[in-house]
Amino acid sequence: MRLIPAPRKGGGLTTHAPAEEFLDLRDGRVRLFRAGQGEPLLFLHAAGGGGWLDYHQRLAARFDVIAPDHPGFGGSDDFGDVEAIDDLVFHYLDVMDELGLDRPHIAGASFGGWIAAELAVAAPHRVGSLVLLSPAGLRLPDHPVADIFLLPPDQLVATLFSRPPPAPAQPAQPATPDIDAILAAYRDQTAAARFCWSPYLCDPKLERRLHRITAPTLVVAPLQDRLIPVAHARRYAERIPAARLTEIDGCGHAMYVERPAEFADVTLTFLSEHSLGEHSLNGVIR
Amino acid sequence: MRFSFFHLMPYPHLPDNFDDYPSSSLTFPNKYFDPKLGNQLYHRYLDELEYAEQVGFDGLAVNEHHQSAYGLMPSPNIMAAALARRTERARIMVLGNAIGIRGNPLRVAEEIAMLDHLTGGRVDSGFVRGIGWEYFAHSVNPTKSRSRFNEAHDLIIKAWTSDELFQWIGENYEYRYVNLWPRPLQQPHPPVYIPGAGSTETMRFCAEHRYTYMSVYAPTRVVRRWFDGYRQAAADLGYVPDPEKIALSVPIYVADTDARAHAEAQPAVEWLFRKGLKQPMELVNPPGYTSQSSLRGLLMTERKPFSALSYDDLLADGYAVVGSPATVAARLAEMYDELGGYGQLIGLFAIGPSTHEQTTRSTELFAADVIPALRPLGVAADA
Repeated sequence: MRLIPAPRKGGGLTTHAPAEEFLDLRDGRVRLFRAGQGEPLLFLHAAGGGGWLDYHQRLAARFDVIAPDHPGFGGSDDFGDVEAIDDLVFHYLDVMDELGLDRPHIAGASFGGWIAAELAVAAPHRVGSLVLLSPAGLRLPDHPVADIFLLPPDQLVATLFSRPPPAPAQPAQPATPDIDAILAAYRDQTAAARFCWSPYLCDPKLERRLHRITAPTLVVAPLQDRLIPVAHARRYAERIPAARLTEIDGCGHAMYVERPAEFADVTLTFLSEHSLGEHSLNGVIR
Repeated sequence: MRFSFFHLMPYPHLPDNFDDYPSSSLTFPNKYFDPKLGNQLYHRYLDELEYAEQVGFDGLAVNEHHQSAYGLMPSPNIMAAALARRTERARIMVLGNAIGIRGNPLRVAEEIAMLDHLTGGRVDSGFVRGIGWEYFAHSVNPTKSRSRFNEAHDLIIKAWTSDELFQWIGENYEYRYVNLWPRPLQQPHPPVYIPGAGSTETMRFCAEHRYTYMSVYAPTRVVRRWFDGYRQAAADLGYVPDPEKIALSVPIYVADTDARAHAEAQPAVEWLFRKGLKQPMELVNPPGYTSQSSLRGLLMTERKPFSALSYDDLLADGYAVVGSPATVAARLAEMYDELGGYGQLIGLFAIGPSTHEQTTRSTELFAADVIPALRPLGVAADA
C-alpha cells in the first residue's frame, strides 16, 4: 500500500473552500471542486490525487476553475469500464458535455497532463488552450520515469520535491492508524495503477500523434524534476505545433504544491494571452 | 494425517551488506547469485526432496517465485519434472503455479497435464496469484490480479476436462482453439490446492470447488480464523470438508534434543523471516492487488511485521515449530487442537541457511519419530 501525501488533507494551503459538486454520468458520479469567475478552465490532477490547493485558488481569481477527481480517485466513483487512457479521453469528453463546456481551457499536471494531451490529440476542436505541467505520457527509454509504485513513502516525497516539502505541522502519530485514510490512499493508488502500470505512465503511440494538437499550448517544466525528466516536457514542446516551453529553475515535480504562486502566474499569463474568443461564448456551447 | 516436504529453494549466501537493500526480492542485484554455488544448491535441494520420499513423506512440494533470493524456482513445473521419474510413490505437489501473472495460462494446463503423465498420476496442482513484487517483476497490472487468476483457473479446468475443442473469450485472454493434448491422466483432473491468507473470497472459492485450502505464514490464532472461515464456507454449502482438504504449512526443524534444535534452527528461522521475507509493503501489496474489503480486514488484524518478531515470538505464535521429535510432535498436536484440526501438514524443512546435513537429519527424525505419532490425527474417521 502506498501513502502519497494527499494534497487535500494538507494543512493551511486552502484559502477558502471551493464548491464541491457532483456530476452524474451514465456509468457513475464524478466529484469536482469549482470556484471562480471567467472563462472555464478544466484542471486534471496528477496521479497522487485530486483536491483544491493554493494553486487552484490563485487560478480561480480570473477563471472558472473546475477540478474533477479522475475515475477511481477521491470522491469519484470507480467507473470500472474506464480501463485505460483511451477510455479516459472519452470520459472527459462526457464530463465536458455534461458541464456544457464546448471548448474550455484545459490544464493538466503530470498524469493529468498526459490525459489533457491525449484529449487534445483526439478532439483538438474541444480544447481552447492547453497547459501541460511536467506531463507524463511519453515513452522516452533514455529518460526513464521513476517508479511511483515502488518508491517507499519517504523516497517518494524526496523524489517529488526539490526541497523538503512545506511541512504542514504534523499531529503526533495517532495510536491507531486511520484505516479509512489508508484505504482512501490505497484506492487512489489503485486507480493510478489501473491506468499507469503498463505501459508505465505512457502511451507509446502518443508522441507520433502530438502534431494533431491545434490549441495554443504551454508546456511547463520544473528543472529539478526527479520523477519525470525534463526531456519529456521538451519533447512535448518540440512535437506540439503551437507550443511554448517554460522551464522553471529550483523546483521539483510537485511544482504546483512546491511553488504555487509562480506556477499560477505562469499559467495565468499564458491563459490570458489566449482568450477563448468569438467562436464560443466563454467556452460554453451556445 | 498426510505429510509433505515442501522446499522453497532459497539462496542463503547473502552478502554482508544485505541490510543495505530493501528486500531479497525484485531489486536485490543478481550479481550476488554465484552460478557455481547456485548450481550446487539446485542439486542439493532436489536430493533433499528425493530423500524425503525415501524416509516416508507422502508428498514433495515446490512453488514459484521470481527474481528473488527467497526462492529459486521461477518455474515450479521444471522442478516437478526433475522429480517425476526420480520418485515413485510420493505426490508431486506444485504449490503452485502463479496463474495471476502468466501471459499464457493455457501453457500451465499443458504442463500440468504432461507432469500428470510423467508422474503416473501423482501430480497435485496448486494455483496462486503470485506475490505483489512479481507483478512488478513480470510487468502485470496488479489491479487485474484477481480477474486474471479467476479467468486462468476457469480456462485451465475447462481445458483439462473438455474432450471437445472450444473457444475461450474472456476479459483477459482469448483463444480461438482450445484442444488440450495431452489430457491429464487423473480424471477429471489433478487435485487442486489453493493457499489462503484470510480472503473470504478465496475461502468461498475453495469450498465451492472442494479444493484443498492451505495456510501461509501466520500466527496460529490467525490460521484458526482462516480454517474456520473455510469450514464455514463449506457448511454454508451444506457439507463438512474432509480433513485432508485443510492443510497447515509451517517451517519445521527437528534435531536430537531441544537444545541442539534451537541452536541450529534460530539462525535459520531468523534468516527466513528477517532476510528471506524482507519485503516492504510497496513490494508485497502493490495498488489494487488487495481489495478494499480484504485490506480493511488486514489492517484490523493487528499483526506485527516479521522484523518486529523475536525468535521466541515466532515459535510462541506458531510461525515455526522447532525441537526434539517429542517436542515437535507435541507442539503439532497442540496446534491441531488450536486449529480445530487439519488433515495435511506441509512442512518447510530446508530453512534459509540450514545445511544439507542439518536438513536431512531434521527430515529423517521427523519421518521416523513425528510422523508415526501424528499419523492417526486428521483422517476422515475422526471427522
